[in-house]
Amino acid sequence: MSKIATIAKLGVAGAFMLALAPAQAADPIKVGVVTPLSGTYAPIGKQVRWGAELAVKEINAAGGVNGRPFELLFEDEEANPPVAVRKAEKLLQQDKVDLLTGTVNSGSTLAVGQVAERNDRILVTTVSYAPSITGAQCSANVFRVNANAYMQSNALTSWLIKNAPGKRYFFIGPDYEMGRSTVSAFQNDVKRLGGTDAGATFPPLGAKDFTPYIGQIRAARPDVIMTATAGNDTVRLLTQLKEYGILNDKLTLAGAAGAVTQENLGAMGGAGEGFLSAAGYSTDIDTPANKKFVPTFKKEFQHDPDLFAADTYGLFYLFKQAIEKAGSTDTAKVRAAMEDAAWETPQGTKKIRKGDHQAVVDMVIVKVRGNDFQTVGKVPGEEAVGPDDCQKF
Amino acid sequence: MEDLLAYLHFVVLPQFIDALIIGVALALVALGLTMIFGLLDVINLAHGELYMLGGYAAFTLLGWGAGYWSALVLVPVLVGLVGWTLEELGIRPLLPRADRAIVTLLLTFGVSLIFRDVAQVIWGTETRSVAAPLTGITNFAEVFVPTYRIFVFSAGLLAIAVTWWLVYRTQIGAVLRATAVDPSMVASFGIPIRLVYGFTFLYGCGLAGLAGVLLSPIYAVFPTMGHDFLVMAFAVVIVGGMGSIIGAVVAAILLAQVQGLASLWIPPVWAETLVYGVMLLVLVIRPAGLFNRLGEA
Amino acid sequence: MLQAHQQVQATDIQRRQSGTVAARLLRASRNSSSNSRLLRQIALVSLLLAAIFPLFGGSFFTRLAIEALLFGCIALSVDILLGYAGLLSLGQAAYFGLAAYVAALMYLHVTQSFWLVLLTASASVGVFSFLLGAVAIRAKGVYFALITFSVAEILSKITHNTRAIGGSDGLIGIPVPSIPLLPGLEIEFANNYVFYYLVLGTVCLLYLGTRRMLNTAFGSVLRAIRDNSDRVPYLGYNPFWYKLLAYVMAAQIAAFGGLIYPLLRGFVAPHLFGFEVSTKAVVMSLVGGVGTLIGPLMGSVIITFLESVVGSYTERHLILLGIIFIVFVVFLPDGLCGLAQRTFGAGRKVKP
Repeated sequence: MSKIATIAKLGVAGAFMLALAPAQAADPIKVGVVTPLSGTYAPIGKQVRWGAELAVKEINAAGGVNGRPFELLFEDEEANPPVAVRKAEKLLQQDKVDLLTGTVNSGSTLAVGQVAERNDRILVTTVSYAPSITGAQCSANVFRVNANAYMQSNALTSWLIKNAPGKRYFFIGPDYEMGRSTVSAFQNDVKRLGGTDAGATFPPLGAKDFTPYIGQIRAARPDVIMTATAGNDTVRLLTQLKEYGILNDKLTLAGAAGAVTQENLGAMGGAGEGFLSAAGYSTDIDTPANKKFVPTFKKEFQHDPDLFAADTYGLFYLFKQAIEKAGSTDTAKVRAAMEDAAWETPQGTKKIRKGDHQAVVDMVIVKVRGNDFQTVGKVPGEEAVGPDDCQKF
Repeated sequence: MEDLLAYLHFVVLPQFIDALIIGVALALVALGLTMIFGLLDVINLAHGELYMLGGYAAFTLLGWGAGYWSALVLVPVLVGLVGWTLEELGIRPLLPRADRAIVTLLLTFGVSLIFRDVAQVIWGTETRSVAAPLTGITNFAEVFVPTYRIFVFSAGLLAIAVTWWLVYRTQIGAVLRATAVDPSMVASFGIPIRLVYGFTFLYGCGLAGLAGVLLSPIYAVFPTMGHDFLVMAFAVVIVGGMGSIIGAVVAAILLAQVQGLASLWIPPVWAETLVYGVMLLVLVIRPAGLFNRLGEA
Repeated sequence: MLQAHQQVQATDIQRRQSGTVAARLLRASRNSSSNSRLLRQIALVSLLLAAIFPLFGGSFFTRLAIEALLFGCIALSVDILLGYAGLLSLGQAAYFGLAAYVAALMYLHVTQSFWLVLLTASASVGVFSFLLGAVAIRAKGVYFALITFSVAEILSKITHNTRAIGGSDGLIGIPVPSIPLLPGLEIEFANNYVFYYLVLGTVCLLYLGTRRMLNTAFGSVLRAIRDNSDRVPYLGYNPFWYKLLAYVMAAQIAAFGGLIYPLLRGFVAPHLFGFEVSTKAVVMSLVGGVGTLIGPLMGSVIITFLESVVGSYTERHLILLGIIFIVFVVFLPDGLCGLAQRTFGAGRKVKP
């Protein structure tokens, strides 16, 4: 009895170990993506999703991260912070994800960042550009790999001051946190670089008619109009500016990177022609990585990637590098591996600044030409990135 | 004095004209809403989505090669038919209930959620556009108004006039007004109330669809556009008097002016809140609104 | 004048038709509505299930259940008004949001004392609901709903536009407190289970308290007002004060949910005042059963969990919510409790 029992026990133990060993190697790294998949911000969430899916497909096909594949779990946050927090908690506590990303609007990023903190996990945003996320409201658990509003403004205004005719600048921003802080970044940079602030106006977010502001714009006689609107608001703004004959060859249109993207350009009927923005990404960036990324993306999803997709795509390569360096998904080790990390993305090399977890990104100045975005200038990351405002860690 | 005149001419007057145009478009949406409430006691929370459908229908028809003008005629009919279906399937079974105002409100809210999501499924999340048939600007006493907007204004006025004529000068209108007062009386004349209700929905939703077509070149088309007008339309219906045609038109123009002119002097986000405030004030002081209900003296 | 008389007659006639919600509620209330034996059993079973839930729920679902209970408070407040006073409020989220913001601001800038925050939030909501109620209750039926809706919207917009209280991003950083119950005895909210049982216990008390109150003469008068408010003054009662009291009571219950929310989630945002929150509370009430008091709480749990689970499989949750709405409104107006009552309940028809 005891001999059989011993053999049986050994057998079971052996089988157990055999079962465990490959299981450990194939144990997926779960990444929770809580992003708006319905509602007004759905077009952005869609690109974020595509970027994540492509990156994970590529990484897993090439052997994963130390042999472990990435597994994506998507949740729709509806751009609604109470919902985002609920979904993030589900991903963290129920699905036990190792990493979190995907939030789009700054309210959600801040709230979910707090949840990540309380659950000892890392949240990386690839879209939110409110400066406070890596500034006044920074957190040791929150990272940002995309260019924030300061960086966009620095890069764009320095290029405009040098290249755009005229010195009078007019600013339009939707009246909520994001809009106001972007416009004030624009205003500060323009004044600092010697331009004239000819006025600013703040339509409500989601405003359908911008004609009340047309009179103000006309009176200001601007040479450059800078807008922080996004999505449908930009479509309406530009369509109506064109309607009223404000757009002409002597006027330069510019704005935040999210103002004109693949998702809303088509609806503008040419009103967006020549629109300038500073983004961390453009489809015509001339790196081998990007030359491969764009057609692969297009083949997979029948759409061109925009900056949200590209930044999300790049993030997963950062995750891979950090986890491999840390040797595990332990939050403290991954955080240490991510701070000061430099990694390759379609946009070139990005670096995470240790002081505030903001990525330093080379900016490109893009201009809308027809249905495409064309790079017309570059500003190196070190020049564009603003000061480190984070006091909390 | 000169400065004041210049201010009035170049700042206030353009704003006034723009708000007038918006007011007319708003009236189209509010008219449907108020007619439906006036006759059926139904608060149609899906009305904004019918306006959205109008925009998408225009987009699709133009995508299939139809011209803008054919779309202008077809879309209100199509959206009207959707409205009629909604009435037959959803509203009619609920009408006999004593609490119909509450129940239909909840039902139409559910329908609006469904319509919004379905639109996203069918047409995707990107913003769509419809090309305006008229471009260019008309110079009107040194005030610049896009020609297309003048067209929208005229078309809107025409639709309002037709509605007024329909309700106050035709046999159908007489039946509508009588039904608003006493449905059983009208039924006893042998007139099928069922068709009266159906027609009200058809016409009201058709107006919303018309607004959708007319405004799509200016405001673009996307799944959440129904929200643009819905709250304002409710404010209009409440201020004007629920069930009053004249009230809807007057209140629409009035409220559009309030919001537009207020935007000149206070931050525009607060101008929006101001309109809500006006709505609240009317509800508290004179809930019946400025004008009396259809059919009432 | 003639019209008013006709209206009273018409409603009387309609009441006798068996198809209306009001008629069904009336019949149910003849069997002493929320106090009926079946409902008490349902309440007891729900409580037992709720009590053992955390044992197999895990931390996420326990916290989700807490949230469901908090939103359930809003649904309960809707039910008090709709099921007992006959008032449909589309703006109860206003009190939830108001309490949440007052609590958040107090925690962030004034004090860490839970009791002080509770007092301030309740007091603010009390004052506000008294003033608003006094004005709104004079309006009839659908106008009351519209007034409550517009107030909630205005509050939402004001919060959204005012950067000093967080603006569109809301406020984060609200700490998880511990509550001193007795000298030396502190309750740690950081422990999910403690938090859960505390909230469950309080909601239980609120439910029982409400049920008790509505089974007194006060409740009978309210129901009389709901059924035929024109006749009530002839009995010597002024409907206005009864409705107002019910309104203020309901607001306090919604406020309780609101002031706990920031402690659970650590933040507040203007969305808490939103139309979606108010309407969902109405749906929850409808799904559970209007007038049953336990129904809205059940409804909240069902809807909250359903949304969470469904959300993982499809983004089409709006369609799902819409369908639930429609199904219940058209086919099951007395909700799940009503269904239970018809299946297991008295069954005998009581002639009016």
